[in-house]
Amino acid sequence: MKNVISSLSAKLRSGELTAAQLTELYIQAVQKVNPVINAYVHTTFEEARKDAEYADKLIKEGKATPLTGIPFTLKDNIATDGLLTTCCSKILEGFRPYYDATVWKKLREQGAVLLGKTNMDEFAMGSTSETSVYGAPLNPRDTSRVTGGSSGGVAAAVCANIAAYGLGSDTGGSIRQPASFCGIVGFKPTYGAVSRYGLIAYGSSLDQIGPMTQSVSDAATVYDAIRGVDEHDQTSAPTPDGQTKLTGDVRGLKIGIAREFFEGINPEIKSAIDHMAEEYAKAGAEIVQVSIPALKVALPVYYIIACAEASSNLGRYDGIRYGYRAANYTGVDDMITRTRTEGFGKEVKKRIMLGTYVLSSGYFDAYYKKACLIRKTVESQLAECFDRCDVLFAPTAPVTAFPLGYSGGNALETYLSDVCTVPVNIAGLPAVSLPCGTDAKGLPIGFQIIGSKFDDAKVLDVAYFVEKHNLCDLEEVKGGVSL
Amino acid sequence: MAISEKEIKTLARLARLDFSEEETAKFVPEFEEIIEFANSINSQVQGDTSSIREVTTRIAQLDELRADEVQESLPSEKVTSNVHSDNGYFAVRRVVK
Repeated sequence: MKNVISSLSAKLRSGELTAAQLTELYIQAVQKVNPVINAYVHTTFEEARKDAEYADKLIKEGKATPLTGIPFTLKDNIATDGLLTTCCSKILEGFRPYYDATVWKKLREQGAVLLGKTNMDEFAMGSTSETSVYGAPLNPRDTSRVTGGSSGGVAAAVCANIAAYGLGSDTGGSIRQPASFCGIVGFKPTYGAVSRYGLIAYGSSLDQIGPMTQSVSDAATVYDAIRGVDEHDQTSAPTPDGQTKLTGDVRGLKIGIAREFFEGINPEIKSAIDHMAEEYAKAGAEIVQVSIPALKVALPVYYIIACAEASSNLGRYDGIRYGYRAANYTGVDDMITRTRTEGFGKEVKKRIMLGTYVLSSGYFDAYYKKACLIRKTVESQLAECFDRCDVLFAPTAPVTAFPLGYSGGNALETYLSDVCTVPVNIAGLPAVSLPCGTDAKGLPIGFQIIGSKFDDAKVLDVAYFVEKHNLCDLEEVKGGVSL
Repeated sequence: MAISEKEIKTLARLARLDFSEEETAKFVPEFEEIIEFANSINSQVQGDTSSIREVTTRIAQLDELRADEVQESLPSEKVTSNVHSDNGYFAVRRVVK
């Protein structure tokens, strides 16, 4: 794995390169590569040049942090003051927020350079990024395949080296699954470890912002820069002081393997993860078999809760408070209905309808309440596992990247591809996805390391073992910035 | 589980969405498939749950409140910069006659 951030940061601090020069290199790479992979949907090059000027000033004054002057990207659902933030939906066409998300504010103050906003499934609802109003981003490792989703644009940009790193959001696997499909690292922190202020809401009890990077070290650097309590997010929580320490020392580590995570998994993926677990065992880790029976129903529980929250969260798009409004209507009710009917895409409407159904009178007790009860069971069964082991190993997805267009005719099958990632969101746990090999078609396979609540540093440290010992080095995608 | 076109229409009205006859007809089997999938949770929790009041909350620390100090709010011209507005007000067609 390549430590893009630390190597670029060293060049900036030594004066080998200025932030302005580095930014131009990235801008040229975006202009060359993006027309092919459709990762960026809004570029912010003029702002990036200003950010770079500020970064060079910080470097000169000796105030640089590891992210000063490093060009990056944000998923299009993270608010950027004055810069387009559309959730890749027609209903937010032309929308420019009037405040910064806390994560962007923190990065901006350190002189991070924002290259633009990246493609995603409309309102983060999808597993392939194909529901974007701007068309799907393409997987840089095989452009006939999807990037995964919903943070597909970030994954594609980082994979193709047209962003040094990116921030995505993960409601049911939207950071980890595209990271797995594109062969990069995607980290979903503990719920509350990173502020959600300025993240356009999908399922508020599940949503979490996190880094998508080329290496585990890079993920730790970005995580350290964005985490912590925020007065604007009441669900945010304190995280440990100091930098996340990466040692890669796994002696005495107890790795839990739950068979429920491996049911129905492609055998190539299972064997890649088994192989990785053996490497850990050789280095002194112990493999512990555990069982989490409630995982079987975690997926329907997730869809019930996420859609219920979405139907409520998306109630705000009424044609009054945001940009898009239907042209012809008879009264206020008609205006709202027409605006939403014209502004939302098919998948978003489907999830709003499902959410409305499970919350409606007569079905609330049968679905939503039951789902909340099972959620607690999933949480407690996972918590019990962590009494017996330090981390869990699991596949990130049961498959590798789908061909483009595949999910259109296989809606439920696409939903089922989230089976390994959603339990983590249901329980609010930290989990990282990192590459552990390729399948027969040469497509990356990802595996997940899941930790207990606020054990984010441990999750990253355990993942660092793979990087430290070069256990999985995928081929670098050509065309982007390579320094 | 069978869902009627009438039920779809009622839900659409609640969600302030509109589906054409053709869309509704297409939507019914897709929706049924997903509801069937959602029904699989019933194997886990049986019986009547109507007496259970508390469901879930994610708020971490309700006891930590900020000091009651006046802070600057967002400027109204910025807030209304994205919307149909008139003199800093949200503009909609006349509702009260």
